[in-house]
Amino acid sequence: MRSSSAQKSAAELCAPTASVQPLQIRGRFLTAVVLPVPSALDEVFEAGLDAALQQSPRFFADAPLVVDLAAAGEMETEEAFKELLALLKARRLSPIGIQNATAHQTVAAASHGLITLKPGKDTPFEQQRAQPAANRPVAVPDPEPAPAAAPVPAVREPMGTGLTITEPVRSGQCIVAEEGDLTVLASVSSGAELIAPGHIHVYGALRGRALAGVGGDTRARIFCQSLEAELIAIAGLYKTSEAFEPAVAKQRVHAFLEADTLRLQPLR
Amino acid sequence: MAKIIVVTSGKGGVGKTTSTAALGAGLAMKGHKTVVIDFDVGLRNLDVIMGCERRVVFDLINVIQDEAKLKQALIKDRRLENLYVLAASQTRDKDALTQEGVEKVLDELSEQFDYILCDSPAGIERGAHLAMYFADEAVVVTNPEVSSVRDSDRVLGLLSSKTRKAEKGEGGVKPHLLLTRYDEARVQKGEMMRIEDVEEILSIPILGIIPESPAVLRASNIGAPVVFDDKTPAARAYQDAIRRLEGEQIEMRVEAQKVGLFSRLLGRTA
Repeated sequence: MRSSSAQKSAAELCAPTASVQPLQIRGRFLTAVVLPVPSALDEVFEAGLDAALQQSPRFFADAPLVVDLAAAGEMETEEAFKELLALLKARRLSPIGIQNATAHQTVAAASHGLITLKPGKDTPFEQQRAQPAANRPVAVPDPEPAPAAAPVPAVREPMGTGLTITEPVRSGQCIVAEEGDLTVLASVSSGAELIAPGHIHVYGALRGRALAGVGGDTRARIFCQSLEAELIAIAGLYKTSEAFEPAVAKQRVHAFLEADTLRLQPLR
Repeated sequence: MAKIIVVTSGKGGVGKTTSTAALGAGLAMKGHKTVVIDFDVGLRNLDVIMGCERRVVFDLINVIQDEAKLKQALIKDRRLENLYVLAASQTRDKDALTQEGVEKVLDELSEQFDYILCDSPAGIERGAHLAMYFADEAVVVTNPEVSSVRDSDRVLGLLSSKTRKAEKGEGGVKPHLLLTRYDEARVQKGEMMRIEDVEEILSIPILGIIPESPAVLRASNIGAPVVFDDKTPAARAYQDAIRRLEGEQIEMRVEAQKVGLFSRLLGRTA
């Protein structure tokens, strides 16, 4: 519940108090989950949601949730939002806002305390958006404006805090990021291993093994300053050094999955 | 308080014991009271290289198990008055080495000496672990070849995590790279790794580059540390390394073993 507590404290800070004290309002970025909803909340949607929750309960736990309304053009009444919130809260999810909403939806959602967010550029539902330009809210009649201290970008992943390593990773060491990205500011020796559910960044030479997206996230990527790795893997798909094209050897490279193929591309 | 330096490498046969003897003798020659300790229980070699194998009565294990006093076990070098040797046991099991015992011995030695050099056994098992555990600094002996570099890298990982300094959050043991058996001609032919490549992979400061030299083997065989014969490039390289260990900033030089005219005619390098 990091998001809600952050907002609450910020709201408290904004409230007028008897004695005037200089406030320290700080910006804060946090990660949110985006849930696309259909117009009608039928059993198929509920079953799908339950299945997703069961598959990865930690994925949603404590993460602020943004409702994507791109495919829910007809959900406009306050009752419909009430129903949606009840459904989400029954599953211990924490909805905080909406995106891709029409002007009507913005008003209806605001009555339930949901803020309206601009959709993030890289939200994975771009192709499903019917009329993104027309759907953008013109004005935000929000009775409780989102405090400036807590901007909530619609990030596509609950990346958590991640892990940053500043020392060289030596042969025989295995660095595991429990959640989020793994960033190494030095070289990774051959015989060393990096494991992360998110991206892996190496700002030195990558000579060991790097396994990104170990939770099955096919969007995870691996970035390195010099590709000399023994093995790289994303979401279980791997390539050994023998399978690297000569063009990428010792180059600044990023690796990603494209149509179930692990691709390596020089960084420009 | 003495400075405790472990001489380690992971891989065997790269020159740990030879380097311990040379560094220890060199430090003593410069007036520092120095003791070299052999941690290779069961396979003691340091006493042979130091030329005192016939004078070993009590060893490190005897002191740890209170069978002898430290004073009885310390062997004074006959050539240098500041140099002492604490031998390993040839007969005991290596499990006789305990962390508490090693700490006790090192604490006692710390009161009397300026430098304590711990000659680590090869590998990363108990003996090697205890040799590095209490160290302030480490000399990582590496040959310019892939397997040695990788083992050194592994050891560097242990130095930054499995030592007292690391566990107390004091930033791990300060590492130095000692590149031994370096042969410029073989590097040119592509048979050996270049200095820059080793340095880049291990990313620690270089303490010295010791050229491959028959003088090193000769010195080991007669039980006189190689620094005693300061006419050889290897001895000069060790002396440079010792000055850097003392904190001096001096330029790195790589001297090759000179090949005499006759050797050249005979097609030999020695």
